[in-house]
Amino acid sequence: MNSSFGLKHIAQFFLFVALQVLLMDSLVLFSTGFCFIYVAFLLFLPLVISRVWLLALAFILGFTVDMFYDTMGIHAAASVLLAFLRPHILNLLTPRDGYEASDTVNIHTMGGRWFLAYTFTLVLLHHTAVFFLETITFQTAWYTIVKILLSTFFTGIVMVILQLLFFSHKRERIDYR
Amino acid sequence: MRNLFAFIYRFRAFLVFVLLEALCVYLLVRYNTYQGAAFFNSANKYVGQVLEFQSGITDYFRLTSINQTLAKENANLRQELMRQRLLALADSTASLDSTYYAATDSSQANPYLLHAGRVINNSVRRMNNYLTIAAGTADGVKPGMGVVSPQGVVGRVKTVSENYATVTSLLHSQMLISAKIRASDTFGTIKWTGGDYRTVLLDYIPLHIKPVKGDTIVTSGFNTVFPEGIMVGTISSIEQEPDKSFYTIKVKLAVDFAQLSYVYVVENTKEEERETLEQNAGIITDEQ
Repeated sequence: MNSSFGLKHIAQFFLFVALQVLLMDSLVLFSTGFCFIYVAFLLFLPLVISRVWLLALAFILGFTVDMFYDTMGIHAAASVLLAFLRPHILNLLTPRDGYEASDTVNIHTMGGRWFLAYTFTLVLLHHTAVFFLETITFQTAWYTIVKILLSTFFTGIVMVILQLLFFSHKRERIDYR
Repeated sequence: MRNLFAFIYRFRAFLVFVLLEALCVYLLVRYNTYQGAAFFNSANKYVGQVLEFQSGITDYFRLTSINQTLAKENANLRQELMRQRLLALADSTASLDSTYYAATDSSQANPYLLHAGRVINNSVRRMNNYLTIAAGTADGVKPGMGVVSPQGVVGRVKTVSENYATVTSLLHSQMLISAKIRASDTFGTIKWTGGDYRTVLLDYIPLHIKPVKGDTIVTSGFNTVFPEGIMVGTISSIEQEPDKSFYTIKVKLAVDFAQLSYVYVVENTKEEERETLEQNAGIITDEQ
């Protein structure tokens, strides 16, 4: 287990799951735009974290959401996929002089472009997995693709708003989040 | 051997990933056909408590509409009761000499019990929608029972815990319901194809029937889940495609799934008898 995983992240886990289940569940745009904000928990974890631990966390997170959504396995599968791809995406997006030890996923310190590229890529992959696992068939592929794009946009925007509201400019994050 | 362990250790992340994905797919496939006790879904005790807490708050915002539905239902029931009383007054069969009295069909003698349940979780916009109701084994709810609302058919119980149950909504890609056109008694199958939660498809109506827009669709009663004659909806459009031997009929649902507040779980007291009989006879039905 990584030492940078602490009480703060456990609190975040419950906050994001509660936000997803209690609020975002009933917030659907035009019957097509869904917001799966709970993935923010995985995205906002420390940059350096053991891969196996990350996968396990993703499974627990997805499974919890699945229990509320009655979609056994769908969100868990998509979250595990996201957790597997996260280190690779982080590698791809490495700044010119590498990550610093104090770097966290923060729109202020890492810059808007880095944050948007990181968030939207991973969220897009996650949502693609969720919606195609949900339908299984490719018969309604166009509808599914529209759903994926709109939902990615929705989730991404909410994530940026959360960052701007609750994450500080300083290197260290505020404690109450 | 050491090399093998070194290899496993080197690719541990990938191996864990594959294992977890396989587990997810297994859960996904198994859950689709699963019916029984609730473990890891919204009928689970703790999940149910959270959902009940949530609906306890949100229900306040639609108390007026909930009250209106209940009052309307009460009015309908009172009307029905008055009609029954009048009929009973006019009917003297029961007091006739027993030699002339022929007992009616035994299946008509009220084989259905209703258990009320409050809807605490509901979805209409996913591909596979489920409801969670605050009624479980303690209230007599069992997996496989039908669920109806005052307006019509809602779905079928999937899993139950002590105090909660999940219901496969009619708005589920694998839910099939045996229904008939009331005017002509022709039966077909109701299914939902996704998208709009107000319309469903009525399949297998042969071309020699002449259905009319506005015709009422009710349950057929050909199985043990729903009683005969429960409202499903009305025909909203009829199409005859050139290469098909059945009509493509769209049905406007009678139930507004987005507004569900209270539902009734239908218990068929003769279910077991009828199912064993049908199974022994080799009749297997896949629709509800």
